[in-house]
Amino acid sequence: MNFKKALIVYRKEMLEMLRDKRAIFATFIIPLVLYPLLFIGFGFIMSRQTEILEERGANIAVVDSVGTEISAQIMENLKGIENFTLLPWDKSTQTLMNEGELQAVVSITDSITTHGYQVYKVQVKYDSSKERNQLVYGKIRESVARSKEQSISAELQKRDLDPELMNLINVEAFDIASAQKRLGSYLGMIMPYIMIMMLVAGAASVASDIVAGEKERRTLETLLVSSAQRKELVLGKYLTIITAAMANLIVNLFSMGFSMQYMLGSQELAMGITQMPITGFLILLAAMIPLATLFAAVLMSISTFSRNNKEAGSYLQPVMLISMLLGMISFIPSIEINNLLAWVPVVNIALLFKAVLINEYQISHLLITIGSTIALDVAAIWLTIKLFNTESILFRTDEDSSLKHARKQKGVLFNGLNGLIYFALMLVLMYYLGSYLQGKDLLTGLIQTQVLIIALPPLLILKVFKLKDKEILRLKAPRIRELVFVPFIAISGAILASMLMQLVDFIYPLPAHYLDQLGGLVKMSDSIWVLLGAVALAPGICEEIMFRGFMMRFFESYNRKTAIVITALFFAIFHLDPFRLAPTFLLGLILSYLTLRSGSIYNSMLSHTLNNSLAIVISAFAGSAWLKPLLSGDEGFVWWLAIPAAIVLSLSLWGFHKVTADKNEEIIQLS
Amino acid sequence: MIEVLNLVKEFPKKDGSLFRAVDGVSFSANDGEIVCLLGVNGAGKTTTMRVLSTVFKPSGGTATIQGYDIVSQPEKVRQNLGFLSGDTGLYNRLRAREFITYFGRLNGVSDADINARMEEMAELLDMHDFLDKKIDFLSSGMKQKVSIVRSIIHDPQVMIFDEPTSGLDILTARNIVSFVRDCKANGKCVLFSTHIMREAERLADRIVIIHRGMVLANGTLEEFRAETGQIDLDDIFVYYVNQSNMEEELSADEF
Ligand SMILES: Nc1ncnc2c1ncn2[C@@H]1O[C@H](COP(=O)(O)OP(=O)(O)OP(=O)(O)O)[C@@H](O)[C@H]1O
Ligand SMILES: [Mg+2]
Repeated sequence: MNFKKALIVYRKEMLEMLRDKRAIFATFIIPLVLYPLLFIGFGFIMSRQTEILEERGANIAVVDSVGTEISAQIMENLKGIENFTLLPWDKSTQTLMNEGELQAVVSITDSITTHGYQVYKVQVKYDSSKERNQLVYGKIRESVARSKEQSISAELQKRDLDPELMNLINVEAFDIASAQKRLGSYLGMIMPYIMIMMLVAGAASVASDIVAGEKERRTLETLLVSSAQRKELVLGKYLTIITAAMANLIVNLFSMGFSMQYMLGSQELAMGITQMPITGFLILLAAMIPLATLFAAVLMSISTFSRNNKEAGSYLQPVMLISMLLGMISFIPSIEINNLLAWVPVVNIALLFKAVLINEYQISHLLITIGSTIALDVAAIWLTIKLFNTESILFRTDEDSSLKHARKQKGVLFNGLNGLIYFALMLVLMYYLGSYLQGKDLLTGLIQTQVLIIALPPLLILKVFKLKDKEILRLKAPRIRELVFVPFIAISGAILASMLMQLVDFIYPLPAHYLDQLGGLVKMSDSIWVLLGAVALAPGICEEIMFRGFMMRFFESYNRKTAIVITALFFAIFHLDPFRLAPTFLLGLILSYLTLRSGSIYNSMLSHTLNNSLAIVISAFAGSAWLKPLLSGDEGFVWWLAIPAAIVLSLSLWGFHKVTADKNEEIIQLS
Repeated sequence: MIEVLNLVKEFPKKDGSLFRAVDGVSFSANDGEIVCLLGVNGAGKTTTMRVLSTVFKPSGGTATIQGYDIVSQPEKVRQNLGFLSGDTGLYNRLRAREFITYFGRLNGVSDADINARMEEMAELLDMHDFLDKKIDFLSSGMKQKVSIVRSIIHDPQVMIFDEPTSGLDILTARNIVSFVRDCKANGKCVLFSTHIMREAERLADRIVIIHRGMVLANGTLEEFRAETGQIDLDDIFVYYVNQSNMEEELSADEF
């Protein structure tokens, strides 16, 4: 690989980009003009609006049904508010109020306490949905608070008490946060989001043009017949996208910073920003470079895949949207970075950014964040280079498209798109109906969920479409020599899955109630047999019908591996439990393999049931000495168990593989 | 020097089956020789050339350019190859000079050599007027000239030109034809394609007639005349096409 050639590509791409008026306009002119206009104009309108509201004052109706010295004082103070007009309460008050002519109605009533004191109640009726009325209410409250102070102090004096008594207890807050930290917490909230948005927008503005655009203008072949290697071309283009992303970010930040400073004037935030040393800004910018590289790599692979600018644009949109949504995580106040979240792309940078601004982060977060980002980066670049070497991708003609496969199977029930739609529907149903059912009575709810939400729909669909349900669901008796291996697979798989769970717990300590959910279930039910039925047998049958029987069919037309992985992934997501994602995925892989390989769903049903039973039994007999080594606890988990479990799993899977002849099942078509 | 042996290129069709655009093509072209691929639209000329340029991978067979294998040594092949086709477009936002310089650098040519060569070619092809204009504003003949300079800026030994004169007026076409002759005089190996018989007649040392992805005949014009008894290349071409159709019918009848 010759870096000089990559640089030649880079320089040429930059030159072309700078010649593109549209890109220049979007990257430089718009931010430099828009922000000042936006901030200054907006700031001006806002302050002017407040002034207008002040000047307009308010009409309020008042009624004093007490008529003592104190209530008179309250009325007096209300009258004293600038620009307020007080109207007496009468018949028309209600209509005026409804018509919006009155901003508030104030009535003063009184009552006598058990000790014989006369106490007053000032009732303020107003429509808080209007901003103006909120302002009015604030003024009324202030005024009444003043009346309260005056009256109490007078009352104290009357009884020969020192009015200072009013201040018997005072609250005084000392904010120990340094100015930098305070600023950091403000900025930490909004800045990551803004920066991520700008980065991805900047990257997207050139990404689609840089490969898909070359395809569209038929210049790609010219480039490909030069003696440069594909890697060099990819690298040069990749650097261009990074530059565009960073340039967009810097220009926007610069323009925004200045405009904000102007708008906020002497306010703390603006002071903070201006006081922030330039090196601080540079560090923040540098921190965004890994993310810029990730966006560049991902967007470029998409661009390479697309046939033309338009197609690239439509693929880039969702990526941008998802990135922005992930970036929004910094708005959520209580979420902080930890070793688990540090693995999630975009989210990790947003949170790390926040943590760095208030100076509270660990080196491990930093390392995981950068490490995982770079790993993804490398993967995306590798993919792009691979795509660059795939002529069917580089020279896709107009007829065939990425959805070729799906389109080819138009009119066929079992295609990927339908599978995705079905899964999405079921996920929504599960989320709402499932939690509703389980909310009433957990155990009954669990069984209802299994039967009604999980198993019934596939059976109904097969009936409605008059499909051969037995064949599709693979309701075919397994052979004995297959079944022999299943318990070994199930048990070793369950142990490995629980290891994975422990690993998750280690990285990201789970909430305490979480771990004994199952234990709670065990205590709840009177009979372990009922429990086994609800939590082991029912899922073993119903979930298998849905996933291995039905769902997997949607993806089998691609290839077996894809079908297994997608089914397992859906299976994991379906459990709506982020912590259990990894272990469930592992189980899903094993179960999908068992069915697809043997052509009999009973294998995975048995395995699934055994797996869940094992979990219940362990929870139920957690106290028993013989189970101790299997359990986590204060003594710590027995890590070495992973090794024999992995060995047993591999051996039994191998055995299963051997005894099952490869059955090439045809894709069943909708007849 | 180009050597092509049993080259096959298949494309997947919509229904999933394969379509053979190039079906066992063999020929060779020596240094100091101009070889013409002659064939009707869709015969497989461009596809053959794209495989030789390493842009497409062959589905079968092999080929070498200057002794370098097109599959295992693609970079070496491209270094020794100047390639031009209807699909090698130009960057509209660059000036002609920048465009040529870019590809010169990408091919590892020093700036001094690029400039010298560009100067020489501009003289030859009469390009001085538009060398510093944006490509966007050039006519298609001007663009073709820029493309030619782009394709040979690294002074390759082998040149493959796919219909280099298509869409050009007679003067420009002559200009290009004389340039191809110059290349031959300098000992280069040139492979070009066309479906214009006149051009093939005038320019080629050897003609490879290609039809439906297969080579029907390969030889000099004299050899063709002797074999077919026809004078005109038009008639020779039709003769070979008819012959292949008849053979096909015969072989179909046998079953
Ligand atoms: N990328 C591709 N995908 C699928 N089919 C292709 C592709 N490129 C070419 N073909 C097909 O291969 C056949 C040969 O095409 P090719 O472009 O090589 O013909 P040609 O001899 O250059 O014709 P022309 O004189 O029209 O340029 C045509 O039937 C064409 O449809
Ligand atoms: Mg062609």
